[in-house]
Amino acid sequence: MNLGFNSPLVLLLLPLVLLPVIFAIQRAQGYPSLAAVETDTLSRVIDVVLHLSGVVALAALLAALAGIHLSGQTVERVGEGSHIVLLLDRSSSMDDTFAGRPPGDGEASKSAAARHLLRDFVEKRPHDRFGVAAFSTLPMYVLPITSQRDAVLGAIDAITRPGLAYTNVGLGLSLALSMHEADPTAASRAIVLVSDGAAVIDRRVQEKLRAQIAKRPVNLYWLYLRTEGAPGIFDPPGEDVPDTPQALPERHLNIFFQSLKVPYRAFEAENPKAVADAIAEIDKLERNPIRYQERIPEVDLSKIAYGIAGAALLLLTLAKLAEVQLDGGGHRGERASSSVTATRRAAAISREKEAA
Amino acid sequence: MSRATFRDPRLWLVAGALLLVLGAMLVPRIKLTRDVYDVVAVVDITTSMNTRDMTVGGEKTSRLQAAKFALRDTLSKLPCGSRLGLGIFTERRTFLLFNPVEVCENFAAIDGAIAMLDWRMAWEGDSYVSKGLYSALDIAHSLKADLIFITDGHELPPLPFSGLAPFDGKPGDVGGLIVGDGGRKFARLLKYDEDGREIGTYGAQDVPQENRSGPPPPDAASRPGYHPKWAPFGNAVVNNKEHLAVVREAYLKQLASVTGLTYAYLGDDYNLVPAFEAAAHGRPLLVATDVSAVPGSLALVLLLALYGLGAYLALKSFVSSSSTSSKGAY
Repeated sequence: MNLGFNSPLVLLLLPLVLLPVIFAIQRAQGYPSLAAVETDTLSRVIDVVLHLSGVVALAALLAALAGIHLSGQTVERVGEGSHIVLLLDRSSSMDDTFAGRPPGDGEASKSAAARHLLRDFVEKRPHDRFGVAAFSTLPMYVLPITSQRDAVLGAIDAITRPGLAYTNVGLGLSLALSMHEADPTAASRAIVLVSDGAAVIDRRVQEKLRAQIAKRPVNLYWLYLRTEGAPGIFDPPGEDVPDTPQALPERHLNIFFQSLKVPYRAFEAENPKAVADAIAEIDKLERNPIRYQERIPEVDLSKIAYGIAGAALLLLTLAKLAEVQLDGGGHRGERASSSVTATRRAAAISREKEAA
Repeated sequence: MSRATFRDPRLWLVAGALLLVLGAMLVPRIKLTRDVYDVVAVVDITTSMNTRDMTVGGEKTSRLQAAKFALRDTLSKLPCGSRLGLGIFTERRTFLLFNPVEVCENFAAIDGAIAMLDWRMAWEGDSYVSKGLYSALDIAHSLKADLIFITDGHELPPLPFSGLAPFDGKPGDVGGLIVGDGGRKFARLLKYDEDGREIGTYGAQDVPQENRSGPPPPDAASRPGYHPKWAPFGNAVVNNKEHLAVVREAYLKQLASVTGLTYAYLGDDYNLVPAFEAAAHGRPLLVATDVSAVPGSLALVLLLALYGLGAYLALKSFVSSSSTSSKGAY
């Protein structure tokens, strides 16, 4: 709980609050002598309260004008969630439908289906932090791991733009892993790879991936958007097809992922419904305790300060209305001040007499 | 309560202050419109952008670093409610990394994304600046956003002799800036190997000095070694300084006039916001504005007048009493 001001420069006027300490707002009125009046506590209290009211009114008003508020802050809470890097395929085949054609009327491309469901996924996991990487011919760093959801959604929206040429999964995965390495917090980590194909991963890149995974283990999910007629991940190779990564890159990518010794699930989705099921499954699996930051917005206190100033001013106004005229009603201020002079003159004369 | 009380200006001052403070407490936020901007920022990440001929904060730095610096600065200066999307350009098209998102709510994420822009994301080495710009304009138009396109204008391979391809869109549909990024003196173009290591600079014959894929220039017949069939471009060694890096301002200004954008040079002060705001289509945004400061400060003025008057009267009566007492002593 700490106070802050929007425009602290206004506080330079604060010395002005001393004015009401010295000066009162009551009229000075003539009275022959106060010597006969006993000092009573009530009068003293009223005097002090009236001066103080002035101080309070000025101070509260200045505070309100300076924009007093309780600063917003972040508090750490514990919830369920993970740090997830979305690794999105931006190759041009993602622009086609699951049937492998450019989308026609009422048909959704693979990227549009993925976009729709990934948006839902991001929106229903409030405590997760997401990073986004894209890959095609080369990996592309899109967003650091962040809790700023709109940015993540903006990056997901962009995947329906026309894609580039190739599907370089290996380097994309390496980038996603390095994003996790750069994120220092302790959290359950996952990579969700969304692609509609695979490619041979270079032997050297394989070595690098193994080293990275050993350094920082992650849960790996591969959402394979399978085009009609394309080879599946889990299918055994046909009679006449050689069982090599070049011939069956998807099958061998799956085998490579299984060999990484981290929790890994592959989902084959041949239509938008299957994509939704796979994402629901990931949603179910990624339920680990996570510390997350919650922002408490700042609280504007200026209305309260105005209220305090108002109360003090009300007191002063009432006191002002309660003033009485000592030397008979109906006199002008001048008359009053002339009577003050008269009183003072009388006092001076009496002092002279005493001296004599 | 006497009539003198009502004649005392101090009563009216304190009562006025009270009313104004009550007003400040109860006045609702009023809606004011303010211009905000939607922008797609596209950064050229071709190899020529690695040339270290820009100066940021007194240090020599690459054009790409300068572009990132200017963009992060722009991000921090755009009014809240504006939206910024990020794209990269290489080869012949612009690749959008993320759609425009609100700049204040997503500041850290956007800032991090800009900081991580790297020439190694470039999927091809070619640099068809005009095509990249046209595709960036397409993207910006589809997002109803304006454009900031930061490039050094180094078209490689050079434009064919037929010149710039016509622009399909409507000039002025998308507002914004083409930003020239790069030194105005010729510098060496850096060369990289397959793994992205710097291995020296390009020589004159390492890059195509002119585009020989289209029809030859009309004056080809006057070129040395010209033969209509075997050497339609002549056979002389051409050096158009295409292997040297310099910001191609004339070309960028031409592109700007074709597309209806405004040209700005980055090196002047690295502050793109005023030029951008002048060239962009603002989007009026209703902002709830707190106006309680108006009655609040009036109340303050009244209170100060009140106590100032008190001080004045006290001073006056002090002066008059000291003068009368001296008269009395006379």
